[in-house]
Amino acid sequence: MEHLRQALAWRWRQVERPQLWLLAGLALALLPHVGRLPWLLILPAVLLLGWRLGFELKLLRLPPQTLRWLLVGLALAATWASYHTFIGRQAGVALLVIMLCLKLMEMDKPRDVAIVIGLSYFVVITVFLFDQSLLMGGYMLLVVTLLTTALTAFSRVSATVPESANLRLTATLLAQAVPLALLLFMLFPRIPGPLWHLPSDAGSAGTGLSDTMSPGNISRLSDNDAVAFRVRFAGEIPPQDKLYWRGLALTHFDGRTWHNPNEARRGHGVSHSVDYSAIGEPVSYTLTLEPHQRHWLFALDMPASAPLGSIVSADGEIIARNSVKTLRRYTLRSYTDYRLDAVSAPRDFAYLRLPPDTAPRARILAQQLRAEASDDADYLQRVLDFIRQQPFYYTRRPPLLLDDPVDGFLFDSRRGFCEHYASAFTVLMRAAGLPARVMTGYQGGEDNPLGDYFIVRQSDAHAWSEVWLRGRGWVRVDPTAVIPPGRIENPADLARIDPAYAARTREAPDWAKRLWRKVGFGWDRVNNTWNQWIIGYDQGAQRTFLSRLGLENVDWQRMVGLLFGGLALVVAVIALQLFRRRPVRRDAVGEAYARFCRKLARRGLPRKPAEGAQDYSQRVIPRRPELAAQIQHITLLYQRLRYARTTPRDGLRHLRQAVRRFRP
Amino acid sequence: MPLTLRQRLSPVRFLRGEGPEVGPVELRQRRVFILPTCQGLLFAVILLLMLISSINYDASLGYALTFLLAALSVVAMLHTYRNLLGLRVDIGPTEPVFCGETLRVPVTLENPAGQTRFAVSLHFVEPKAEPAKVLCDVPANGWVGVGLPLPAKRRGRHALPRITLATVFPLGLFRAWAYVEFDARVLIYPRPARATPLPRDSAWQADLSGDLGQGADDFAGLRNYQPGDAPGHVHWKTLARGQGLYTKQFGGDRAEELWLDWQATAGGIEARLSLLTRWVLDADMAHYRYGLRLPDQTLPLAHEPQQRRRCLKALALFNGAASP
Repeated sequence: MEHLRQALAWRWRQVERPQLWLLAGLALALLPHVGRLPWLLILPAVLLLGWRLGFELKLLRLPPQTLRWLLVGLALAATWASYHTFIGRQAGVALLVIMLCLKLMEMDKPRDVAIVIGLSYFVVITVFLFDQSLLMGGYMLLVVTLLTTALTAFSRVSATVPESANLRLTATLLAQAVPLALLLFMLFPRIPGPLWHLPSDAGSAGTGLSDTMSPGNISRLSDNDAVAFRVRFAGEIPPQDKLYWRGLALTHFDGRTWHNPNEARRGHGVSHSVDYSAIGEPVSYTLTLEPHQRHWLFALDMPASAPLGSIVSADGEIIARNSVKTLRRYTLRSYTDYRLDAVSAPRDFAYLRLPPDTAPRARILAQQLRAEASDDADYLQRVLDFIRQQPFYYTRRPPLLLDDPVDGFLFDSRRGFCEHYASAFTVLMRAAGLPARVMTGYQGGEDNPLGDYFIVRQSDAHAWSEVWLRGRGWVRVDPTAVIPPGRIENPADLARIDPAYAARTREAPDWAKRLWRKVGFGWDRVNNTWNQWIIGYDQGAQRTFLSRLGLENVDWQRMVGLLFGGLALVVAVIALQLFRRRPVRRDAVGEAYARFCRKLARRGLPRKPAEGAQDYSQRVIPRRPELAAQIQHITLLYQRLRYARTTPRDGLRHLRQAVRRFRP
Repeated sequence: MPLTLRQRLSPVRFLRGEGPEVGPVELRQRRVFILPTCQGLLFAVILLLMLISSINYDASLGYALTFLLAALSVVAMLHTYRNLLGLRVDIGPTEPVFCGETLRVPVTLENPAGQTRFAVSLHFVEPKAEPAKVLCDVPANGWVGVGLPLPAKRRGRHALPRITLATVFPLGLFRAWAYVEFDARVLIYPRPARATPLPRDSAWQADLSGDLGQGADDFAGLRNYQPGDAPGHVHWKTLARGQGLYTKQFGGDRAEELWLDWQATAGGIEARLSLLTRWVLDADMAHYRYGLRLPDQTLPLAHEPQQRRRCLKALALFNGAASP
């Protein structure tokens, strides 16, 4: 065992350090992709990395040419088997990763090394296509440092330099590069992408709100604390019960699942003009949406217009032309009080349609209540009263509904969450001949006390109904909101549904929980700043930033001029610092030695004018034998600095140090 | 020496350097050039791809990384340039070699700056052949000496070719280089022919028969060394064996004259010179008193150490065209 350990340690010392830097950098660059790529590709990539390491440890041989080509074929086949394409984000990254690892099998010339390191940098950027969080950014800076150190180590020839020197050199280079990079980042004209249509990824699941809703299936969002979006209000924050973040309208019901067949959801389609009149004061805000890979955007009910690059659908949803793959920020104005399509009844019968055999008992109930009601508005109120008065409960773990989900919920289980209530309520509306649809989105949100913005999380996902009433247009009705607090199972839900309750409980938790909450808010604030300044730095942010610097209406030509001017200035400063001629003392070695002689002279042992360094030391040592080692050391260093064919590394520094420490 | 603008921008300097000069030569800004390497161009292509990806996917951190790497290469360019700038180059005297051998030209690099110059490569600019490169680090405030190899291809006195100093340190993305051409000449002796017996005349043959009285340079024995004896006559072998210092004694009181004559050889000029070179070497080894007769000059008989050098030089510089 000990023998094996020693053998491995010996081989470890044999490994060329530049290769080690490279392999470490590449492995760490690939790490974030591990969960993202199929095992069919990750496993070979890991094996190939291991193979290269084995080769460097002189344990394995690299495969011959024919085997290499065979492996390339296999890699292509595995990629095709996983994605059925070679283009697009996922498949492209997979192909890059596996081919890069294969390149390790034939990396012997400097050119190969350059290709591998260059493509490793490219792997870093592919990670950013999926994750641009602060932590990932910091992690990738480490990876870039390792890869750059590999470059410096490869270009330095002498093996005598310690590896820490390479790392230090890289740190210096990076530190000098940062001001330039910052300037480029701020002033390089941002082009709103994409340059060409991006093929949508096969099999990539979106996160967050889905475009279908099946009450009776368990909601996966309720426990997810991830941030959906953050909002910064320009003025006063509307009260909690007005904070309905409108997402999707679900118009079609098949008895179990709500969906919307509207093709506009895929991003192509024309903007519909909706008959819309605002009441009251507008609310201005900037919403920063986390990437969810889908096309829809969220806005406070009801936005006055759609942001750039998006359209308004017939149902009043905002649909972006490109799916939200990266952080997306938009500024909007909404009116929390509004009239929508108030004049004419919706022509689309979809809002009335119910599958023939669904919910027979609900239909009977609807007819009963409609008969008792004086008009549509009264009927709506009676249905809400029904929910309030009957023993309906709010719970996150409702019983599974196997038969008819609507009837089963309304008359048997009477336990459910927003999706059940919205679905059943909409069915009751349609059964009585009122046009109605289910709206999904988010409700409420949380003010970050450490920052001036609102956090809306996935757990704030909500579903409600919209009913068309003659003379009033589409009216938002939230049937979940009428459940009395006593029938809400979970205090967290209670806090969400009843803001007054939330205010009461906020002070209650003990100090540890309070501290934890505070840390959470602090971290969220850091992330928000990162998002606003780094991730969300786009054309608009660039313009805002420049105008803050006092440069209004900068066109791109001027921006490029500014950029190059700034770059030239920074490069000049760096160059000045690098090329400055430091005043060179002509004979630093002689001066150090003279100081040594002066020290001895003060002790009564001056050097004779014609005495060489060797003779002097031989004469002095017998007089001061206790200083022999020091005197010999200094004399030897001096002689080597003066007469050796090659100056010893750091020799002058050592000589000065030795003379400084010499105290006769 | 300041340059006019026309001189400064002339492509000749870029391609050939400044012309022969006397060392030491300091590598100032005007003679250090820099261009991206193949790896640097590859890096630029990858950076462009990264920029396109960043635009296409609106990845802000992608922009940041692309810009960081671009800035890094600009900084690396400055470092590469600095790695060569300010070095002082000089050469030392070169010992003549025979054609076919390799000259070692002693080149010293002095670094007056406070930072080490890493991985500076030197080579002679030679047409066609792949030049033999020497890589070295020059310590801060120090110097380093290298023997720069130069294959000796033709006999005669030649101007030292240009030396290229280059470096790609620290990232290998840029290559800075400078040409230095020293006003120095190297002497290359003709290639010695394969072992051929020395020319034999009657006197020589008589020698072989064992006539000690006439064979002046024949080895007669050893005697104890006395101060003043010629070093060439010291018998080093006994000294090496640790048996003391002896001087070789030669019989006869008159030195035998051995003439190495152009007329005694046959073939082309170079073949004749090769043969004469071989004879000079052999005669010198055997401690003969010898002279050299060439069509255009005659070197008198001698056997002092300079004779070998003198003869070889005459052979190296022999101008075939001038001969009848």
